[in-house]
Amino acid sequence: MTREAGIATWLTSRWFIVPAVFSAVTLGWLAYVSAHDNGLIDGRVVDAKGDPVAGATVQLFERGFVTHEQRGRAVTDAEGRFRFTDNRSHSIQLEAEAPGLGRTDRRILRLWFAAQDAVLPEPLRFPTAP
Amino acid sequence: MAARPSRPRLLLRHATLVAVSFVMLLPFYWVMKTAVTNENIYAYPPGIVPRDPHLFNFVDVWYLIPFPRYLLNSIVVSAIAVAGNVVLNAMAGYALTRQFPGRRAVLALFLSCMLIPFQATIIPAYLITAKMGLLNTYFGLAFPMLSTIICIFVFKAAFEAVPRSLIDAARLDGLSEWRIILRVLLPLSKPAIATNVILSFIWSWNNFLWPLLITRDPTMQTLPLGLARFLSYMEDTTGALYAFAVLVLAPSVLVFLMAQKEFIRGLTSGATKG
Repeated sequence: MTREAGIATWLTSRWFIVPAVFSAVTLGWLAYVSAHDNGLIDGRVVDAKGDPVAGATVQLFERGFVTHEQRGRAVTDAEGRFRFTDNRSHSIQLEAEAPGLGRTDRRILRLWFAAQDAVLPEPLRFPTAP
Repeated sequence: MAARPSRPRLLLRHATLVAVSFVMLLPFYWVMKTAVTNENIYAYPPGIVPRDPHLFNFVDVWYLIPFPRYLLNSIVVSAIAVAGNVVLNAMAGYALTRQFPGRRAVLALFLSCMLIPFQATIIPAYLITAKMGLLNTYFGLAFPMLSTIICIFVFKAAFEAVPRSLIDAARLDGLSEWRIILRVLLPLSKPAIATNVILSFIWSWNNFLWPLLITRDPTMQTLPLGLARFLSYMEDTTGALYAFAVLVLAPSVLVFLMAQKEFIRGLTSGATKG
């Protein structure tokens, strides 16, 4: 067997292909993670009628082993939008509170990696309207 | 030449094999199912199909404990053990194919040593490792796994299957004993190498007791120790615990699947000799 044929055999063997594919997928995933791990969490807060709630306080709870600990607060703008810029966790809970409206249910948001940029798919909804 | 079995007999044989495979694979399926759900494994009646499967339990495992560190430690220790087994066992296996005074006694000693469980020699092994200053090091973690007697005999059987005339011809051509192993015997013993790689990798990867004894620093712990630590935190049967088990299991299964053909050939080489 010539040297070239030997190299070709090695390159087409599963001992090369499987680790190469695995390494390529891992590198691709790491590149994606590094481009999307800014810790940005965006969302909206609405009342029972679906109208935006301005000035509501949104709390971010980070998952520990057995409990969730409060790690950040944000206040909604006139359109009911809020943003967290420093989430470092992969699993969080969000809860909004506003005077006269009480509290929303805690919303669990599970991420694919720590500090993943994410948008809350459904707004946090108060059970009552003003 | 043996007669081909009749069709009903063939069907019965395959049905039996399928049934046995099902029984053997069922626990793996259960672990996988629990890993992608949060179902309680003691729930009755048990659900066969996973409900609302997701992969977030694997994400939890990755971040709730220093999983990447444990993974790195296990990979490094297993790599050292595999390298040690292939090199040292090939040398020992070749030596046992040669004639020298006391060869039969050495063989008998090796075979009798296989009967002694590692737990019986673990205190001397610990003391020797400590005297060498290898506690809490990667090399110390791999140290007792660097050479295993079963794998030496796998190499010995493979080397004995190589025609003696080939080795004599290599010697006449001026090859040293080292080069005979490297250039002649090892290229002809790929199944034995695969067997050594798989067995030493799996034994090292799954080793629990030895790393538990010699690691002092949590950052030097391997995956089985991490699993025990994780279990102590997550005492209920959550999906994350099973996701951890799957992540520990996956590399061993991958290595086995990649080398299974050579592995089976390596285990049976020499079986029809004589």
